[in-house]
Amino acid sequence: MLAKLIAHVKRLWSAAPVATAILALALAASLFFVAHGAFLWLGRPPIAEREQPVAAWMTPRYVARSWHVPREVVMQGLGMTRPLPDGPMNLAEIAERKGVPVDTVIQDLESAIAAFRASKAPPRPEPTQ
Amino acid sequence: MTETIFGLVTQYGAYVIFASAFLSCLALPIPTSLMMLTGGAFVASGDLTFWTVGLAAYLGAVLGDQAGFFIGRTGGSALVDRLARSPARATVLSRARALVNQRGGMGVFLSTWALAPLGPWVNFVAGATGLSWRRFTIADVLGETVWVTLYVGLGYVFMDQVATVAEIMSDIIGLLVSLTVAATMALWLRGVLRAKARKGEDTPGKASAA
Repeated sequence: MLAKLIAHVKRLWSAAPVATAILALALAASLFFVAHGAFLWLGRPPIAEREQPVAAWMTPRYVARSWHVPREVVMQGLGMTRPLPDGPMNLAEIAERKGVPVDTVIQDLESAIAAFRASKAPPRPEPTQ
Repeated sequence: MTETIFGLVTQYGAYVIFASAFLSCLALPIPTSLMMLTGGAFVASGDLTFWTVGLAAYLGAVLGDQAGFFIGRTGGSALVDRLARSPARATVLSRARALVNQRGGMGVFLSTWALAPLGPWVNFVAGATGLSWRRFTIADVLGETVWVTLYVGLGYVFMDQVATVAEIMSDIIGLLVSLTVAATMALWLRGVLRAKARKGEDTPGKASAA
């Protein structure tokens, strides 16, 4: 079986070496893409761990949606009462507008979300059933 | 990388999506897929609307493809014409042109999304080998609809896993491209072997020696 395959590859190689080499490379690349993609897909973090830490590029709406908290909680955490005037703004821009470092904004927001969650979810040390 | 893209999209919104879709159709290495996934994520969050993101990506891509096609048509066809001066080459070229015109539409369609890395080159070649503009445009418009809907849709659904989805998608596209290359090479090899076999039949002495 293997000897047959080798003989066949040799025949291909002698007929058209460039095409044979490219064919081998393309097949190797296909295997790589399958392995890499499968590895990424299977290695995805489970839903509970997917929450991205709040970052400077996120918009208030993105944070609200990604962390599953009402938008008002995020707006309160940012110390803002009204929606932003001109289109989407990320936290870095909001910090700049407020004249504070972006890390402060992120910390305030994270503690607002934590406070909301603590108030929302009663402590459940044991499953009910 | 992902954060830079996100930052650009929040700052410039649909304009940056339009520009990157346009430029990536001219073979500039710009991560437009990631850009569209990001746009989809911001549609999900409610910062951008589907129509602005979709339309920006779509117009950028279609205009970029048209630009590539016309560059191929003006620049490339001069080269092709020069090659066609020899009569032997002219026959081969006219056969190639007929094939491109017959089957090229499907090639263009697939090269806009499933085989996206080949897209810019397919546009140049289609322009240079004289695929009719109408066929090119119909295939292109249909293909880009699939591309934009697919990526903005995935960004919408997987809004908080955009980076992972972008990597997996590039693996899938990479797989499709490498399989296409492999299939092309297999066809080429088959052609070579057949031609050899035919030659062998013409000269039986050689065939028995082999």
